[in-house]
Amino acid sequence: MHEASFLILTALAGESQHGYGIITDVAQISGGRVQLKAGTLYTALDRLVADGLIELDREEIVDNRLRRYYRITREGAQRLAEEADRLRSNAHAALTRLQPGVAIS
Amino acid sequence: MTDHSSLERRYRRWLALYPKSFRAEREEEMVAVLMQGADPDQTRPRAGEAADLVTHGLRQRAGLPLPPGRRPLDWERAHAKFMLPFRLLIALFLFIMSVIIVAAHNGQLWGGELWLLLTVPGMLVHLWIAYRIRPSTTHR
Repeated sequence: MHEASFLILTALAGESQHGYGIITDVAQISGGRVQLKAGTLYTALDRLVADGLIELDREEIVDNRLRRYYRITREGAQRLAEEADRLRSNAHAALTRLQPGVAIS
Repeated sequence: MTDHSSLERRYRRWLALYPKSFRAEREEEMVAVLMQGADPDQTRPRAGEAADLVTHGLRQRAGLPLPPGRRPLDWERAHAKFMLPFRLLIALFLFIMSVIIVAAHNGQLWGGELWLLLTVPGMLVHLWIAYRIRPSTTHR
């Protein structure tokens, strides 16, 4: 799973959000490291919708502008959980092997 | 008060690179996101934003299947098959010409740049067309 997709699913795991909300949330989750641009965001959203991992929640018009809110699906939550597990076990393996010789502060 | 309508118009110009069907579905939503992310005094898209829209817009276009129900006709298939070797030959010819041009300038890439500007994109276009409508393409 792409890091962008992983972070978008994470952003939506809490609550449904609209495009710009996802961008700011992903920036926050990643500690400012990942700043999604609109093109990247919508390619990822399109893919995630097509794969059934997220879906349209509702639409709102704010200041004459269309806002679409997306929410994570059950399948999306499951995939995110699996991916998080995988990352955790990889990270654990890395940290374990580093431990004996290297001092980790 | 800065003129936000011109910024919006410029964003829409970049969004025009996306296929029509995609825009019908997403344009308003994306404009909203782009405008929300803009600085108050911003008048044109940032370079990174424009590049991002170009990349993803063209990618959407490239990945787009033919409209449903549209199957290639027999003559279109036959034409694609017939033209394939010619397209590859033209690309090869342009490649050889490019090499000759570079060689004629004693291995310096620049000097024959005007010709290279013609041959290299020409070569890429022919390879691209040959790839896109190769005979085995399955149209959905």
